Amino acid sequence: MSDTSDHSGKPFEDLPEDELLAAEYALGVLTGTDRAAAQRLLQRDRNFARMVAEWEQRLAPWAGEIVEVSPPPQVWEAIAAALPAAAPPSAGIWQSLAFWRGFALASALAAACLGGLIYLGAVKDAPPLIATIEGGGARVFVATIDARRGTVSVVPASYSADPTRVPELWLIPADGKPRALGLLRADRTVTIAIPPEFASQTVGNATLAVSLEPPGGSPTGAPTGPVIGAGKLTSL
Amino acid sequence: MDLDANRKLIATALRRIPGGDSAALQTLYRLTSAKLFGVALRILGEHGEAEDVLQEVFVTVWRKSADFDPARASPMTWLIAIARNRAIDRLRASRQSRRMEPIDQAAVVADSAIAADNALESAQDHARLHGCLDGLEARERNALRGAFFDGNTYEDLAARMSVPLGTMKSWIRRAMIKLKSCLEQ
Repeated sequence: MSDTSDHSGKPFEDLPEDELLAAEYALGVLTGTDRAAAQRLLQRDRNFARMVAEWEQRLAPWAGEIVEVSPPPQVWEAIAAALPAAAPPSAGIWQSLAFWRGFALASALAAACLGGLIYLGAVKDAPPLIATIEGGGARVFVATIDARRGTVSVVPASYSADPTRVPELWLIPADGKPRALGLLRADRTVTIAIPPEFASQTVGNATLAVSLEPPGGSPTGAPTGPVIGAGKLTSL
Repeated sequence: MDLDANRKLIATALRRIPGGDSAALQTLYRLTSAKLFGVALRILGEHGEAEDVLQEVFVTVWRKSADFDPARASPMTWLIAIARNRAIDRLRASRQSRRMEPIDQAAVVADSAIAADNALESAQDHARLHGCLDGLEARERNALRGAFFDGNTYEDLAARMSVPLGTMKSWIRRAMIKLKSCLEQ
Protein backbone atom coordinates (compact mmCIF):
# COMPACT_ATOMS: atom_id res chain seq x y z
CA MET A 1 0.00 0.00 0.00
CA SER A 2 1.90 3.03 -1.22
CA ASP A 3 -0.68 5.57 -0.15
CA THR A 4 -2.62 5.32 3.05
CA SER A 5 -3.06 9.08 3.36
CA ASP A 6 -6.80 9.09 2.97
CA HIS A 7 -9.00 11.14 5.23
CA SER A 8 -8.41 9.05 8.35
CA GLY A 9 -4.78 8.18 7.71
CA LYS A 10 -5.34 4.86 9.46
CA PRO A 11 -3.50 1.79 8.23
CA PHE A 12 -5.47 -1.29 7.27
CA GLU A 13 -5.23 -3.02 10.55
CA ASP A 14 -8.89 -3.96 10.71
CA LEU A 15 -8.74 -6.97 8.40
CA PRO A 16 -5.95 -9.46 7.69
CA GLU A 17 -4.22 -9.15 4.33
CA ASP A 18 -5.64 -12.43 2.96
CA GLU A 19 -9.17 -11.33 3.73
CA LEU A 20 -8.56 -8.02 1.93
CA LEU A 21 -7.27 -10.01 -1.05
CA ALA A 22 -10.44 -12.14 -0.91
CA ALA A 23 -12.54 -8.95 -0.89
CA GLU A 24 -10.62 -7.49 -3.84
CA TYR A 25 -10.97 -10.71 -5.79
CA ALA A 26 -14.71 -10.96 -5.12
CA LEU A 27 -15.17 -7.32 -6.12
CA GLY A 28 -13.13 -7.92 -9.28
CA VAL A 29 -10.58 -5.09 -9.12
CA LEU A 30 -7.45 -7.24 -9.37
CA THR A 31 -5.43 -7.58 -12.57
CA GLY A 32 -2.73 -9.79 -14.03
CA THR A 33 -0.54 -11.58 -11.54
CA ASP A 34 -2.58 -10.42 -8.52
CA ARG A 35 -5.76 -11.91 -9.96
CA ALA A 36 -3.95 -15.09 -11.03
CA ALA A 37 -2.44 -15.43 -7.53
CA ALA A 38 -5.89 -15.05 -5.94
CA GLN A 39 -7.29 -17.70 -8.32
CA ARG A 40 -4.49 -20.14 -7.38
CA LEU A 41 -5.08 -19.52 -3.69
CA LEU A 42 -8.78 -20.12 -4.25
CA GLN A 43 -8.00 -23.60 -5.59
CA ARG A 44 -5.78 -24.77 -2.76
CA ASP A 45 -6.67 -22.79 0.36
CA ARG A 46 -10.07 -23.68 1.79
CA ASN A 47 -9.97 -20.82 4.23
CA PHE A 48 -9.33 -18.32 1.45
CA ALA A 49 -12.08 -19.91 -0.65
CA ARG A 50 -14.48 -19.53 2.27
CA MET A 51 -13.60 -15.82 2.63
CA VAL A 52 -14.12 -15.23 -1.10
CA ALA A 53 -17.51 -16.99 -0.89
CA GLU A 54 -18.48 -14.80 2.06
CA TRP A 55 -17.57 -11.65 0.13
CA GLU A 56 -19.50 -12.87 -2.89
CA GLN A 57 -22.50 -13.42 -0.64
CA ARG A 58 -22.18 -9.89 0.78
CA LEU A 59 -22.02 -8.30 -2.68
CA ALA A 60 -24.48 -10.55 -4.54
CA PRO A 61 -27.66 -8.64 -3.59
CA TRP A 62 -26.27 -5.74 -5.62
CA ALA A 63 -26.84 -7.80 -8.76
CA GLY A 64 -30.57 -7.32 -8.12
CA GLU A 65 -30.10 -3.93 -9.79
CA ILE A 66 -28.85 -5.44 -13.03
CA VAL A 67 -31.54 -5.58 -15.69
CA GLU A 68 -32.40 -9.06 -16.89
CA VAL A 69 -31.82 -9.60 -20.60
CA SER A 70 -33.12 -12.70 -22.37
CA PRO A 71 -30.27 -14.37 -24.23
CA PRO A 72 -30.93 -15.50 -27.83
CA PRO A 73 -31.98 -19.17 -28.22
CA GLN A 74 -28.73 -20.23 -29.88
CA VAL A 75 -26.93 -19.87 -26.53
CA TRP A 76 -28.88 -22.76 -25.02
CA GLU A 77 -28.43 -24.75 -28.22
CA ALA A 78 -24.66 -24.30 -27.98
CA ILE A 79 -24.70 -25.36 -24.32
CA ALA A 80 -26.81 -28.44 -25.08
CA ALA A 81 -24.44 -29.35 -27.92
CA ALA A 82 -21.46 -29.10 -25.55
CA LEU A 83 -22.91 -31.62 -23.09
CA PRO A 84 -21.77 -35.22 -23.48
CA ALA A 85 -24.06 -37.32 -25.65
CA ALA A 86 -24.59 -39.64 -22.70
CA ALA A 87 -26.33 -36.83 -20.84
CA PRO A 88 -29.98 -37.95 -21.17
CA PRO A 89 -30.72 -40.32 -18.30
CA SER A 90 -30.99 -44.00 -19.22
CA ALA A 91 -34.26 -45.81 -19.73
CA GLY A 92 -33.81 -47.50 -16.35
CA ILE A 93 -34.30 -44.22 -14.53
CA TRP A 94 -37.27 -43.23 -16.63
CA GLN A 95 -39.07 -46.46 -15.81
CA SER A 96 -38.51 -46.22 -12.08
CA LEU A 97 -41.67 -45.44 -10.14
CA ALA A 98 -39.76 -43.56 -7.44
CA PHE A 99 -38.28 -41.33 -10.10
CA TRP A 100 -41.68 -40.59 -11.55
CA ARG A 101 -43.12 -39.70 -8.17
CA GLY A 102 -40.26 -37.30 -7.60
CA PHE A 103 -40.56 -35.91 -11.08
CA ALA A 104 -44.30 -35.32 -10.77
CA LEU A 105 -43.65 -33.46 -7.53
CA ALA A 106 -40.93 -31.34 -9.11
CA SER A 107 -43.16 -30.62 -12.07
CA ALA A 108 -46.02 -29.57 -9.82
CA LEU A 109 -43.64 -27.25 -8.02
CA ALA A 110 -42.47 -25.92 -11.37
CA ALA A 111 -46.05 -25.25 -12.35
CA ALA A 112 -46.79 -23.60 -9.01
CA CYS A 113 -43.92 -21.23 -9.44
CA LEU A 114 -44.39 -20.60 -13.13
CA GLY A 115 -46.83 -17.88 -12.18
CA GLY A 116 -44.09 -15.97 -10.47
CA LEU A 117 -41.69 -16.34 -13.38
CA ILE A 118 -44.25 -15.32 -15.90
CA TYR A 119 -45.17 -12.33 -13.84
CA LEU A 120 -41.54 -11.19 -14.01
CA GLY A 121 -41.43 -11.65 -17.76
CA ALA A 122 -44.64 -9.70 -18.11
CA VAL A 123 -42.95 -6.52 -17.01
CA LYS A 124 -41.04 -6.45 -20.27
CA ASP A 125 -43.22 -8.40 -22.67
CA ALA A 126 -46.84 -8.89 -23.64
CA PRO A 127 -48.86 -10.71 -20.98
CA PRO A 128 -47.98 -14.40 -21.32
CA LEU A 129 -50.57 -17.13 -21.54
CA ILE A 130 -50.55 -20.35 -19.60
CA ALA A 131 -52.62 -23.51 -19.89
CA THR A 132 -52.74 -26.29 -17.36
CA ILE A 133 -53.55 -29.38 -19.39
CA GLU A 134 -55.55 -31.69 -17.14
CA GLY A 135 -57.25 -35.01 -17.67
CA GLY A 136 -58.41 -37.87 -15.50
CA GLY A 137 -58.09 -35.69 -12.42
CA ALA A 138 -54.37 -35.05 -12.98
CA ARG A 139 -52.30 -32.27 -14.42
CA VAL A 140 -50.56 -33.94 -17.35
CA PHE A 141 -48.70 -31.03 -18.93
CA VAL A 142 -48.28 -27.30 -18.35
CA ALA A 143 -47.95 -25.06 -21.40
CA THR A 144 -46.84 -21.44 -21.61
CA ILE A 145 -47.02 -19.23 -24.66
CA ASP A 146 -44.27 -16.74 -25.37
CA ALA A 147 -46.09 -14.41 -27.75
CA ARG A 148 -43.01 -12.32 -28.45
CA ARG A 149 -41.02 -15.31 -29.65
CA GLY A 150 -44.06 -17.08 -31.04
CA THR A 151 -43.38 -20.27 -29.12
CA VAL A 152 -45.20 -22.61 -26.78
CA SER A 153 -43.19 -24.44 -24.09
CA VAL A 154 -44.73 -27.56 -22.63
CA VAL A 155 -43.49 -29.05 -19.36
CA PRO A 156 -44.47 -32.66 -18.58
CA ALA A 157 -46.18 -33.00 -15.19
CA SER A 158 -47.85 -36.31 -14.32
CA TYR A 159 -47.78 -37.66 -17.87
CA SER A 160 -46.32 -41.19 -18.01
CA ALA A 161 -44.69 -42.34 -21.21
CA ASP A 162 -46.73 -44.73 -23.33
CA PRO A 163 -44.53 -47.30 -25.07
CA THR A 164 -46.54 -47.36 -28.30
CA ARG A 165 -47.93 -43.88 -28.69
CA VAL A 166 -46.67 -40.30 -28.49
CA PRO A 167 -48.38 -37.25 -26.99
CA GLU A 168 -49.36 -34.61 -29.55
CA LEU A 169 -50.32 -31.02 -28.73
CA TRP A 170 -53.33 -29.39 -30.37
CA LEU A 171 -54.59 -25.83 -30.47
CA ILE A 172 -58.39 -25.63 -30.43
CA PRO A 173 -59.50 -22.03 -31.06
CA ALA A 174 -63.06 -20.63 -30.96
CA ASP A 175 -64.13 -22.55 -34.08
CA GLY A 176 -63.53 -25.85 -32.26
CA LYS A 177 -61.28 -27.28 -34.97
CA PRO A 178 -57.99 -28.77 -33.65
CA ARG A 179 -54.73 -27.60 -35.24
CA ALA A 180 -51.62 -29.73 -34.73
CA LEU A 181 -48.81 -27.90 -32.92
CA GLY A 182 -46.30 -30.69 -32.42
CA LEU A 183 -45.18 -33.75 -30.48
CA LEU A 184 -44.43 -33.61 -26.77
CA ARG A 185 -42.01 -35.54 -24.61
CA ALA A 186 -42.55 -37.32 -21.31
CA ASP A 187 -38.99 -36.67 -20.18
CA ARG A 188 -38.40 -33.01 -20.88
CA THR A 189 -39.78 -29.62 -21.77
CA VAL A 190 -40.47 -29.16 -25.45
CA THR A 191 -40.56 -25.71 -27.05
CA ILE A 192 -42.51 -25.53 -30.28
CA ALA A 193 -42.59 -22.62 -32.73
CA ILE A 194 -46.23 -21.71 -33.31
CA PRO A 195 -46.95 -21.62 -37.08
CA PRO A 196 -47.52 -17.96 -37.99
CA GLU A 197 -50.97 -18.75 -39.40
CA PHE A 198 -52.08 -19.92 -35.95
CA ALA A 199 -50.65 -16.93 -34.07
CA SER A 200 -53.87 -14.92 -34.19
CA GLN A 201 -55.75 -17.89 -32.71
CA THR A 202 -53.31 -18.50 -29.89
CA VAL A 203 -55.14 -16.21 -27.53
CA GLY A 204 -56.87 -16.34 -24.16
CA ASN A 205 -59.73 -18.85 -23.98
CA ALA A 206 -58.38 -20.97 -26.82
CA THR A 207 -57.88 -24.56 -25.66
CA LEU A 208 -54.74 -26.63 -25.73
CA ALA A 209 -55.29 -30.39 -25.78
CA VAL A 210 -53.05 -33.44 -25.85
CA SER A 211 -53.94 -36.69 -27.62
CA LEU A 212 -52.05 -39.96 -27.93
CA GLU A 213 -50.98 -40.65 -31.50
CA PRO A 214 -48.90 -43.19 -33.38
CA PRO A 215 -45.14 -42.53 -33.43
CA GLY A 216 -44.52 -39.55 -35.72
CA GLY A 217 -47.86 -37.98 -34.87
CA SER A 218 -51.38 -38.09 -36.21
CA PRO A 219 -51.35 -39.28 -39.82
CA THR A 220 -54.56 -37.38 -40.65
CA GLY A 221 -53.88 -33.89 -39.32
CA ALA A 222 -56.64 -34.33 -36.73
CA PRO A 223 -56.50 -36.19 -33.40
CA THR A 224 -56.90 -39.95 -33.96
CA GLY A 225 -56.17 -41.28 -30.47
CA PRO A 226 -57.61 -40.61 -27.01
CA VAL A 227 -57.44 -37.06 -25.66
CA ILE A 228 -55.62 -37.36 -22.35
CA GLY A 229 -55.94 -33.77 -21.23
CA ALA A 230 -57.04 -30.24 -22.12
CA GLY A 231 -56.89 -26.76 -20.66
CA LYS A 232 -57.80 -23.20 -21.60
CA LEU A 233 -55.16 -20.54 -22.19
CA THR A 234 -55.43 -17.81 -19.61
CA SER A 235 -53.30 -14.75 -19.06
CA LEU A 236 -51.77 -14.14 -15.69
CA MET B 1 -45.54 -14.60 -7.03
CA ASP B 2 -43.69 -16.94 -4.74
CA LEU B 3 -40.02 -16.03 -4.56
CA ASP B 4 -39.24 -18.75 -2.07
CA ALA B 5 -40.61 -21.35 -4.46
CA ASN B 6 -38.50 -19.81 -7.20
CA ARG B 7 -35.35 -20.06 -5.12
CA LYS B 8 -36.20 -23.62 -4.09
CA LEU B 9 -36.68 -24.57 -7.70
CA ILE B 10 -33.24 -23.16 -8.56
CA ALA B 11 -31.69 -25.08 -5.66
CA THR B 12 -33.49 -28.31 -6.65
CA ALA B 13 -32.32 -28.04 -10.25
CA LEU B 14 -28.75 -27.37 -9.17
CA ARG B 15 -28.79 -30.43 -6.88
CA ARG B 16 -29.91 -32.70 -9.72
CA ILE B 17 -27.17 -31.66 -12.15
CA PRO B 18 -24.26 -33.67 -10.65
CA GLY B 19 -26.20 -36.85 -11.48
CA GLY B 20 -25.97 -35.93 -15.17
CA ASP B 21 -29.53 -34.63 -15.45
CA SER B 22 -29.46 -32.33 -18.47
CA ALA B 23 -33.14 -31.46 -18.03
CA ALA B 24 -32.18 -29.99 -14.64
CA LEU B 25 -29.50 -27.89 -16.33
CA GLN B 26 -32.09 -26.65 -18.79
CA THR B 27 -34.47 -25.81 -15.96
CA LEU B 28 -31.69 -23.89 -14.23
CA TYR B 29 -30.95 -22.09 -17.49
CA ARG B 30 -34.60 -21.12 -17.90
CA LEU B 31 -34.74 -19.74 -14.38
CA THR B 32 -31.44 -17.84 -14.26
CA SER B 33 -30.04 -17.14 -17.74
CA ALA B 34 -31.65 -13.71 -18.16
CA LYS B 35 -30.09 -12.43 -14.95
CA LEU B 36 -26.69 -13.98 -15.66
CA PHE B 37 -26.74 -12.68 -19.24
CA GLY B 38 -27.54 -9.22 -17.87
CA VAL B 39 -24.56 -9.46 -15.51
CA ALA B 40 -22.15 -10.48 -18.30
CA LEU B 41 -23.57 -7.93 -20.71
CA ARG B 42 -23.16 -5.14 -18.18
CA ILE B 43 -19.47 -5.96 -17.74
CA LEU B 44 -18.61 -6.77 -21.36
CA GLY B 45 -20.92 -4.28 -23.06
CA GLU B 46 -21.28 -6.49 -26.11
CA HIS B 47 -23.83 -9.18 -26.94
CA GLY B 48 -21.54 -11.64 -28.73
CA GLU B 49 -19.02 -11.75 -25.89
CA ALA B 50 -21.73 -11.94 -23.24
CA GLU B 51 -23.30 -14.88 -25.10
CA ASP B 52 -19.94 -16.69 -25.11
CA VAL B 53 -19.61 -16.06 -21.39
CA LEU B 54 -23.13 -17.30 -20.68
CA GLN B 55 -22.33 -20.49 -22.54
CA GLU B 56 -19.11 -20.93 -20.56
CA VAL B 57 -21.02 -20.35 -17.32
CA PHE B 58 -23.50 -23.15 -17.95
CA VAL B 59 -20.89 -25.58 -19.24
CA THR B 60 -18.92 -24.81 -16.05
CA VAL B 61 -22.04 -25.38 -13.95
CA TRP B 62 -22.61 -28.70 -15.72
CA ARG B 63 -19.07 -29.84 -14.91
CA LYS B 64 -18.64 -28.28 -11.48
CA SER B 65 -22.07 -28.40 -9.92
CA ALA B 66 -20.79 -30.94 -7.39
CA ASP B 67 -18.51 -28.17 -6.04
CA PHE B 68 -21.47 -26.04 -5.06
CA ASP B 69 -21.70 -25.92 -1.28
CA PRO B 70 -25.13 -24.75 -0.07
CA ALA B 71 -23.67 -24.08 3.37
CA ARG B 72 -21.37 -21.49 1.87
CA ALA B 73 -23.45 -19.59 -0.68
CA SER B 74 -26.94 -19.42 -2.09
CA PRO B 75 -27.29 -20.94 -5.57
CA MET B 76 -27.85 -17.50 -7.12
CA THR B 77 -24.80 -16.02 -5.40
CA TRP B 78 -22.70 -18.91 -6.69
CA LEU B 79 -24.01 -18.49 -10.24
CA ILE B 80 -23.60 -14.71 -10.25
CA ALA B 81 -20.02 -15.08 -9.01
CA ILE B 82 -19.22 -17.54 -11.81
CA ALA B 83 -20.78 -15.20 -14.39
CA ARG B 84 -18.95 -12.14 -13.06
CA ASN B 85 -15.61 -13.94 -12.90
CA ARG B 86 -15.93 -15.40 -16.39
CA ALA B 87 -16.88 -11.99 -17.76
CA ILE B 88 -14.02 -10.30 -15.90
CA ASP B 89 -11.48 -12.90 -17.12
CA ARG B 90 -12.61 -12.26 -20.68
CA LEU B 91 -12.47 -8.50 -20.20
CA ARG B 92 -8.95 -8.68 -18.75
CA ALA B 93 -7.78 -10.91 -21.60
CA SER B 94 -9.03 -8.59 -24.30
CA ARG B 95 -8.74 -5.00 -23.26
CA GLN B 96 -9.46 -2.46 -20.61
CA SER B 97 -12.94 -2.04 -19.23
CA ARG B 98 -15.59 -0.79 -21.60
CA ARG B 99 -16.86 1.94 -19.38
CA MET B 100 -14.08 4.44 -18.82
CA GLU B 101 -15.82 7.80 -18.72
CA PRO B 102 -14.79 9.95 -15.74
CA ILE B 103 -16.61 9.35 -12.46
CA ASP B 104 -17.30 12.40 -10.36
CA GLN B 105 -15.92 11.54 -6.95
CA ALA B 106 -18.63 13.39 -5.11
CA ALA B 107 -21.53 12.40 -7.37
CA VAL B 108 -24.29 10.96 -5.30
CA VAL B 109 -25.64 7.87 -6.95
CA ALA B 110 -29.08 7.25 -5.59
CA ASP B 111 -28.38 3.64 -4.81
CA SER B 112 -31.38 2.76 -2.75
CA ALA B 113 -33.67 4.61 -5.14
CA ILE B 114 -32.90 2.20 -7.95
CA ALA B 115 -35.66 -0.33 -8.06
CA ALA B 116 -34.10 -3.69 -7.53
CA ASP B 117 -35.33 -6.82 -9.11
CA ASN B 118 -35.39 -8.99 -6.06
CA ALA B 119 -36.61 -12.13 -7.70
CA LEU B 120 -33.43 -14.02 -7.05
CA GLU B 121 -32.08 -12.59 -3.83
CA SER B 122 -34.15 -11.62 -0.87
CA ALA B 123 -35.38 -8.07 -0.61
CA GLN B 124 -34.11 -8.03 2.94
CA ASP B 125 -30.50 -8.77 1.91
CA HIS B 126 -30.75 -6.12 -0.76
CA ALA B 127 -32.06 -3.49 1.62
CA ARG B 128 -29.33 -4.30 4.13
CA LEU B 129 -26.55 -4.00 1.56
CA HIS B 130 -27.96 -0.69 0.36
CA GLY B 131 -28.24 0.62 3.87
CA CYS B 132 -24.55 -0.10 4.36
CA LEU B 133 -23.52 1.28 0.95
CA ASP B 134 -25.38 4.49 1.77
CA GLY B 135 -23.20 4.76 4.87
CA LEU B 136 -20.03 4.94 2.77
CA GLU B 137 -18.58 8.16 1.43
CA ALA B 138 -19.79 9.00 -2.06
CA ARG B 139 -16.33 8.46 -3.59
CA GLU B 140 -16.02 5.04 -1.96
CA ARG B 141 -19.45 3.95 -3.12
CA ASN B 142 -18.79 5.23 -6.64
CA ALA B 143 -15.53 3.29 -6.82
CA LEU B 144 -17.21 0.08 -5.63
CA ARG B 145 -19.99 0.55 -8.18
CA GLY B 146 -17.47 0.93 -11.02
CA ALA B 147 -15.77 -2.28 -9.94
CA PHE B 148 -18.90 -4.35 -9.38
CA PHE B 149 -21.02 -3.25 -12.33
CA ASP B 150 -18.47 -2.24 -14.96
CA GLY B 151 -15.69 -4.72 -14.12
CA ASN B 152 -13.23 -1.85 -13.59
CA THR B 153 -9.76 -2.63 -12.21
CA TYR B 154 -7.93 -0.54 -9.62
CA GLU B 155 -6.10 1.13 -12.52
CA ASP B 156 -9.35 1.86 -14.40
CA LEU B 157 -10.94 3.35 -11.31
CA ALA B 158 -7.91 5.50 -10.50
CA ALA B 159 -8.06 6.87 -14.05
CA ARG B 160 -11.81 7.40 -14.03
CA MET B 161 -11.73 9.23 -10.71
CA SER B 162 -8.41 11.03 -11.37
CA VAL B 163 -6.56 9.86 -8.26
CA PRO B 164 -3.27 7.98 -7.79
CA LEU B 165 -3.49 4.18 -7.84
CA GLY B 166 -2.48 3.92 -4.18
CA THR B 167 -5.26 6.27 -3.16
CA MET B 168 -7.81 4.18 -5.05
CA LYS B 169 -6.56 1.02 -3.33
CA SER B 170 -6.95 2.74 0.02
CA TRP B 171 -10.49 3.86 -0.76
CA ILE B 172 -11.61 0.44 -1.92
CA ARG B 173 -10.00 -1.47 0.93
CA ARG B 174 -11.34 0.93 3.52
CA ALA B 175 -14.80 0.79 1.93
CA MET B 176 -14.77 -3.02 2.03
CA ILE B 177 -13.74 -3.01 5.70
CA LYS B 178 -16.58 -0.61 6.54
CA LEU B 179 -19.00 -2.63 4.48
CA LYS B 180 -18.18 -5.87 6.25
CA SER B 181 -18.42 -4.27 9.66
CA CYS B 182 -21.77 -2.66 8.79
CA LEU B 183 -23.23 -5.90 7.36
CA GLU B 184 -22.22 -7.83 10.45
CA GLN B 185 -24.08 -5.53 12.78
